[in-house]
Amino acid sequence: MTNDQQIVDSLKDPATKELAFRHLISKYKERLYWHIRKIVLNHDDTDDVLQNTFIKIWNGLDSFRAESSLFTWLYRIATNESITFLNQRKRKNISSLTDENQYLIDNLEGDSYFDGDEWQMLLQKAVATLPDKQRLVFNMKYFDEIKYEEMSEILETSVGALKASYHHAVKKVEEFVKSHETRIEP
Amino acid sequence: MYEEENIEPDFLKRPKTNPFRTPDYYFESLEDRVMGNIEYQTKKENSSTRIIRLLKPALGLAASFLLVYLLVYYPINTFLLKDTAKTAVTDTTTADWLNDYSINLTSVDEDVIVNAIFSEDTTNLSETNPDEFLAYLSTGLNDVEIYSEIQN
Repeated sequence: MTNDQQIVDSLKDPATKELAFRHLISKYKERLYWHIRKIVLNHDDTDDVLQNTFIKIWNGLDSFRAESSLFTWLYRIATNESITFLNQRKRKNISSLTDENQYLIDNLEGDSYFDGDEWQMLLQKAVATLPDKQRLVFNMKYFDEIKYEEMSEILETSVGALKASYHHAVKKVEEFVKSHETRIEP
Repeated sequence: MYEEENIEPDFLKRPKTNPFRTPDYYFESLEDRVMGNIEYQTKKENSSTRIIRLLKPALGLAASFLLVYLLVYYPINTFLLKDTAKTAVTDTTTADWLNDYSINLTSVDEDVIVNAIFSEDTTNLSETNPDEFLAYLSTGLNDVEIYSEIQN
């Protein structure tokens, strides 16, 4: 059962629902995990969000109308769960608006499952300083290499707006990297 | 304007590597953990639904009692207790009146009572006019009844 349509059909039948859902998890767990991880950065938080995402998917199976592809629907739920999680955490931890992205940077620096070098840390910090929407678009385009058309369905934003967001994000990341790169020893 | 070809900063040309990792075997047990969480959530929802279902009759009964109280007991208390209060005030007045007019026997000398009962002094009675007696006795009687009494 590897085909999305087969999984969707089996999910509709109560007798095969649970088995089909296990197949769905197996097929998408890694892609969803890495998508969420790039948004929340920390592994433990990612695990929480991923569990919640799958619970939301299970509870919302009846509302899936197959108007969009299964992959798009799953990505949308994962994205919304990640943003909701981050907003909740930010509200709890942030004393002023200027600290908003500092939470993410602290999260990144405190993550024991980050093995990157200084350049990779710098790039992640640069991405963490972006506004939420630009960060999402940058991650999906640069790291996940998702097409704009697909991204448009997931984020429910026009392709033109996504291209503009990516353009601004790249400029900001470049500026951040240039202003901090001199501190990194070659 | 925003086409990718137009924006190619140096950092975009660097090779992309994933700096993040997961704990060992993290993905292997994910299905079981997710299904376990779903089962737990379902049980939790069911138990809260069951509690509500169990409490429903008790809550219904409590609501019924409250309704009865509001429809019956409250109006009775509000309207009938006013009359009861009035009666209570009347009773108090009667009791005061009785206290005022009752004879306090402890303050009366026994000898005076004995003399009053057994005294042979009938002057007061003899001085009484028989017509006044008849008038007193015939109070509340009509002419026919007075006539029949005289005939008997």
